[in-house]
Amino acid sequence: MSSQERSVQKFSGISPAEFFYRNRQMAGFGNPTQAVYSTVRELIENGLDACEDAGKAPEIRIKIVDEDSDNVTVTVKDNGTGLPYDEVAQAFGRILYGSKYERRQKRGTFGLGVTMAILYGQITTDSPVLICTRFGEGLGRAYRLLIDIEKNAPILLSETTKRQHSLGTSVSICFKGDLKRAQERVLEYLRLTTVGTPNARIIFNIDDEIQGCIGPWTSEAPKTSIPVKPHPRAVDVELIQRLLNECESTTIRDFLVTSFQQLGTRTASKLLAFMNIDPKTPLDVLTRQDISRLCQGMRHYDGFCSPDSKCLSPIGEASFTAGVRSTFNTSFLSYGRQGVFEWQGNPVILEGVLAVGDSFSVSDTPTLYRMANRVPLLYDASEDIFTKVVRQTSWRRYGFSKPQPAALFLNVSSTRIPYRATGKQSLAHIMEIERETSLLLKVLGRFLSKKVSSGGAAARNVKKRREYSELIGIVAKYGSELADFDSPPPTEHIVQRLFEVSEDE
Amino acid sequence: MSKESTVKTLTSIGRDVMDAILEGEFPSLHFPDRSTDNIVYDGVTNQFVLGDSSTTRDSSNLRHVRSFAQLIWVAYFAKKLTSAQRTSSLRDLYYSSEAYGVKFSNQAESDRIVTDLETLTGLARENFGIFPEERSSIFGDVRMRYTVSGYENQEVCLTASPDGFPIGRALMTAKPVDASAEIILAIESGGMFSRLIETGAWKRYQAVLIHLGGQPPRATRSLMRRLREELELPIFIFTDGDPWGMHIARVIIGGSANSAHLRGLAVPDAEWIGVTPSDIVNHSLPTEPMNNADLKRLDELLHDVRYAGPVWQDYIKAFRELRSKAEQQAFSRHGMDYVVDTYLKEKLP
Repeated sequence: MSSQERSVQKFSGISPAEFFYRNRQMAGFGNPTQAVYSTVRELIENGLDACEDAGKAPEIRIKIVDEDSDNVTVTVKDNGTGLPYDEVAQAFGRILYGSKYERRQKRGTFGLGVTMAILYGQITTDSPVLICTRFGEGLGRAYRLLIDIEKNAPILLSETTKRQHSLGTSVSICFKGDLKRAQERVLEYLRLTTVGTPNARIIFNIDDEIQGCIGPWTSEAPKTSIPVKPHPRAVDVELIQRLLNECESTTIRDFLVTSFQQLGTRTASKLLAFMNIDPKTPLDVLTRQDISRLCQGMRHYDGFCSPDSKCLSPIGEASFTAGVRSTFNTSFLSYGRQGVFEWQGNPVILEGVLAVGDSFSVSDTPTLYRMANRVPLLYDASEDIFTKVVRQTSWRRYGFSKPQPAALFLNVSSTRIPYRATGKQSLAHIMEIERETSLLLKVLGRFLSKKVSSGGAAARNVKKRREYSELIGIVAKYGSELADFDSPPPTEHIVQRLFEVSEDE
Repeated sequence: MSKESTVKTLTSIGRDVMDAILEGEFPSLHFPDRSTDNIVYDGVTNQFVLGDSSTTRDSSNLRHVRSFAQLIWVAYFAKKLTSAQRTSSLRDLYYSSEAYGVKFSNQAESDRIVTDLETLTGLARENFGIFPEERSSIFGDVRMRYTVSGYENQEVCLTASPDGFPIGRALMTAKPVDASAEIILAIESGGMFSRLIETGAWKRYQAVLIHLGGQPPRATRSLMRRLREELELPIFIFTDGDPWGMHIARVIIGGSANSAHLRGLAVPDAEWIGVTPSDIVNHSLPTEPMNNADLKRLDELLHDVRYAGPVWQDYIKAFRELRSKAEQQAFSRHGMDYVVDTYLKEKLP
C-alpha cells in the first residue's frame, strides 16, 4: 500500500491542473474560437447531466456576452437540484474530482471539462468562475473561485447568500474567446443537442442579438440510467486500486464479488482458480504485481457474462426521430439500433436515424451527424470511426442509386466512450464499434432503399396517372370535335379503370 | 380526293374514338406498319408499298397515349383546315399545337404524327391542307379549273404567268380541263426551267414544264400523276447527270420509301431523258469528278430493288466507270440554245 500511495503522491506533485493547462489543445481549448465552443459545450453537458440526475426535463438557459477586448462570458443555468453547498468549491475548483466516477452513462466524464474551462478563463482573463446554486429550501448561494493550479485545489474568493427563485445551478465563466467565429458552431451545437436530448428546452441569448428557444421536441423522459458495478473485463490497475481503497471486504474473493458485476461467488472462485490465486488471500498482502496479475487475468478470462446495460440511456426510437423531425425538414425517417454489445467490458448501444428531406444537401452519401452519449460531436469528423464506416458503406446499394438529400444521425451510448483525445470530438477506431456501425448502416440503408423504390414507384404512379389523365382528356376533347360532338365525354372512368388495374398488379 | 370525303374520313376516326370512350373502352387505332421491314417494292405497280404487317396504337398503353392524343389532335386540325379550305405547313402545324395545349418535343415528332395520319387514312397530307414549305412551279398550255373557295370554277391557263405557277393547294385540287400541250417535261433546276420558258421551247415541244427543285414535293408528284391520267400527257424527266438527279426521276416513277403508305403519287411510265452518262460523253459536257458521297450513293442504288432493271443497272455502271458528273447547265458550253435546239430535239418525241 505504501508504494501505491507514493506513486499517487508523485502524480499529484505534477498537478493534474497544470498538466491539463499545458496540454489545453487536447481538451479543446487550443484557440479562441474553439475555446468558446468548448466552454459552451462543457457547461451545457454539465447542466443536462444535472437535470437528468434530478429526474427533470432539462431547461437550460445559456447566455453568451461578448465584452470588449475579446472577453467572452458564458453563463449556463440548469434546473437541476443544485449542488450541496459544501461540495461546490471542490466540484468546480479541482480537476479529477466529481461524482461522475460511477459506472453509468453520463455526458461528461470526471467533471474534467468544466474545470478545464474555468482554468482557461482564469489564465486568459484572470477572472474567477461565478457559481450560483440553490440546493433544497431557502436562499441560494453565490461563489467566486479560482483554481490553485499547482496544488490542484480551489481558492474560494467569496461565498455569499443570493436569492434564487428555483433550484438549480448557474455557472458563469469569462475567458478570451472569438465569439463571432464560434457563433455558427455554437448554434449548431445547441440545435443538435436537442436532437440527442429531445426533451430538453434550451433558451439562448447570444450578445442580445440572437435569441431563441429550441425544444422540447418530446415530453417523453429518457430511460433512466442506473449505476452499475464495473464489469471485470473493464478493469485496469488504477481501477482495481481505487476499488480496493473503497472496499470493506477482507478476502480477495469477497472483494471481487462485491466490487464487480457478473461475478458471483462461483465465477469468482473459478476465476481465482484460473489465475491460481487462493480465494481466501487477504487483501492487505496484495502487492502491485499481484494487482497487475489480477487485472490481466480478469481481462482475459472468458467466463463472464456480458456487461449489464441498465447503466445506459439510449435516446430511443420515438425521441430520436422526434428530435430529428423537429429540427430538420424530413420526408422520410428510419431508426435502427445495434447492441447491447461489449467493448472492453463496457456495454455499448448504437442508434442511428437515416433521414431524407430538403434540409440536407444532395449527395451520394448521407451527411453525417455524430453523437456520443447524446452529445453532438462537431469537430475532427475526418478522423472519426463513424466517418470511416460511412465512407466504406456502398450507399449506391442502399437507396442512393441516385444522389439523395439525406442525413445520418448516429449516437453511441456507453459507460466509456473511446474518444481519440481529451477534446472529445472524435471516436477512436474500435473494432467492435466499427463492425456494429457497419451493420447498423446497412439496416438503415435497407429501409431507405425499400422506401426509395416503393415511394418512387408511388410518386411515379401519381405522376403517370396525372399525365395519362391529361392526355386522354386531349383525346376526348379533340376526338369529340372530330366526331362533331357538342362536348367531350367524361374520361375519368377510363383513367380509373387503367390505374386500378395496374395498381392491383 | 374531294374535300367532303376527306372530312368524312377524319370524322369517322373521331366517331370510333368517341364510341370507345362512351362504352368505357380504351380507344385504339390500327394502321399499317411503316417500319422499314414492312416496306416492300411492288413489282406489279413498280412502286414502294407497305406490306401486310400492321400496328395498333392503344390508348391504354402508357407509352402510346401521348402519340395517340397527338394523332387525334392532328386529325382534328386537319379536319379544321380541310373544312375551312385553309392550308398550313408542317412547321406551322408544329407551332399551332401549342395554342391547343398539345405538346410535341420537336417538329420531327409532329411530322411523324402527320405521317401517321396519312397512314391511317391512306390520304396524303396535302389532302388535309398541310403542305411543305418549298413549292414547285408549273408552266404550260394547260387549263385548270379551281375548286378552292373563292375561285370555284375559275379557269386559269398555266401560261398566264411567265414565271410559272407555284404548285400549292389551289392547283393541287384544281381539275385539268384541257391542254394543247402534248407532253410534260419535269426539270430539276430553276435555271433550265426559265431557259425553256424564255426560249419558247415549251411551245416548240408542246410541253408543260414543271420545275422540280430537287426531290419534288408530293403535291407536285400528285399533280403530275393527275395530268398523266386525266389528260394522258406522257412525262419526261430532265435532271442533272449524277446519281441524285437520276434518283429524282426514279422516285417520280416508282415512289419513295417515305411515302410507301400512300398511293396516287407514282407515275410508272414516266421517262428519264437525262442527263445520262452517255449524254455526258456524246455531248462532251464539262464534268466534275464524283466525290465519295456520289460514289457511295451509286453503290446503294446498285442494290436498290427499284434499279434492278437492266436499263438502270447500265446507267449506274456507266456512272461508275465515268466517275464524273454533269449539271443540266453544262450544255451551255455549246451556246445558250444548244440544249433546246440539239439536246432536247434528240431526246423528246
